[in-house]
Amino acid sequence: MTSAQRPLPGEPPPPQRGMTLEERGRDVSAAQADVEAQTSKWRQFLGYMSPRFVWSMADGYPVVIKQFLQFCLILIYPAWVFAVLVGGLCQLLFYVTVYPVLWVLFWPMRAYQKKHHPEEYAATRAKYAKNARN
Amino acid sequence: MGLFSRSGDALVTVTPGVVRPRDTVTATVTTDRPVDKVRTARLDWGYTNFYRYHWAGRVDSAAAQGNDSILTAGQVGTNYGGDRDTDDWVSVVVEDLPIATGTFAGATSTFRIPSWAPASSSSIARWECRLTVDREGRDVETRGEFTVLIGTSDVEAYLEPLERVSGQAETGVDIALTRPVWQAGETITGHVTLTPTADLPDGDLAVSWQRERESHPLVRTPSPCGQLDGRIVGLGKQIPLRAGRPVEIPFEIDLPADAPPTAAAVHSSINWFVQARLMYRGFNSHLLERVRRPITVVNAP
Repeated sequence: MTSAQRPLPGEPPPPQRGMTLEERGRDVSAAQADVEAQTSKWRQFLGYMSPRFVWSMADGYPVVIKQFLQFCLILIYPAWVFAVLVGGLCQLLFYVTVYPVLWVLFWPMRAYQKKHHPEEYAATRAKYAKNARN
Repeated sequence: MGLFSRSGDALVTVTPGVVRPRDTVTATVTTDRPVDKVRTARLDWGYTNFYRYHWAGRVDSAAAQGNDSILTAGQVGTNYGGDRDTDDWVSVVVEDLPIATGTFAGATSTFRIPSWAPASSSSIARWECRLTVDREGRDVETRGEFTVLIGTSDVEAYLEPLERVSGQAETGVDIALTRPVWQAGETITGHVTLTPTADLPDGDLAVSWQRERESHPLVRTPSPCGQLDGRIVGLGKQIPLRAGRPVEIPFEIDLPADAPPTAAAVHSSINWFVQARLMYRGFNSHLLERVRRPITVVNAP
């Protein structure tokens, strides 16, 4: 019995239950949803640096705490932009230098998985293509 | 006269104090002296639902993703304290009490416990009859509590399908139980059947109970599902796993005497499982196999 039983005739129906975190889907602010919906990586990168995105990180907090967090986010905004730029630069360096080496190094393993475990291989590719929560 | 005069206080007594679904309880409201200047009075039958919710920001915000990184794992002030315990009232039946000439002197009401009632437990629900007297002066609000026990005959007993949690099913792991409904404090009995699909490394097998508390509030943001595993009971080490040779191993798991029963309420639910895990010996590419089968836990015979 993992769900409420059906009501018997003559008794009040069980009240409607709410939804779990998984049933509700991703819980993000409108600004973050807009950035994540961008198909272009470059636009997404610019979106991460926008003040609206940074400010939206205080969304969902109770009043007073939210305003305090927004104040703190304004203060750290220059540092945030610097961190995103440095992060982007590191990512670029990684994809230019290390990634091709790893791609070649692990090619036999990918080929083995594709041949012997095609369903898992497809599932893994689909998982990373969708950029799922976990 | 009216400025300093005190109105009477009310007391709600619910009998019997311990009931089962489909039983009828009676609430008797008594007052030490009549309550005057009354506009309306009502009795509200229902339960206080306990649950967890996420209060601190958006669950999947970029900041929260940063909190979950390995650099900040376990640090106070990051992801610590984002969830909080709370409770909300769930009304099942409301009864308006007749008021004559603005005075309330007492009342009696009966309520039949619904068959779907979640059992009383500190983890999910506390059943109550609440009295609210709306008057020109200070309102009178009081309540009477009662306990709902769920027994074996109160639940739909059926064997639920096995759930695969992890692994590649290189070995079929099946959990068979003597029965699907168990009382708190009992010993769960059954057996695990291992069916290897090929010649595999020897395996270590263990079982345990698992309690899952789901949060699904109507308004607030739910907390992630909370799981608690019972004591791990080892069933065997280096069990030979050869193709075409199924292995059947019996097990016994003790359920805690204070186990909250399986229940589904408005804002939260409690589910119970028996889980088995099979770990292959040695350093290899075989993944841990984990399966679990839902069970129903009750707190009355």
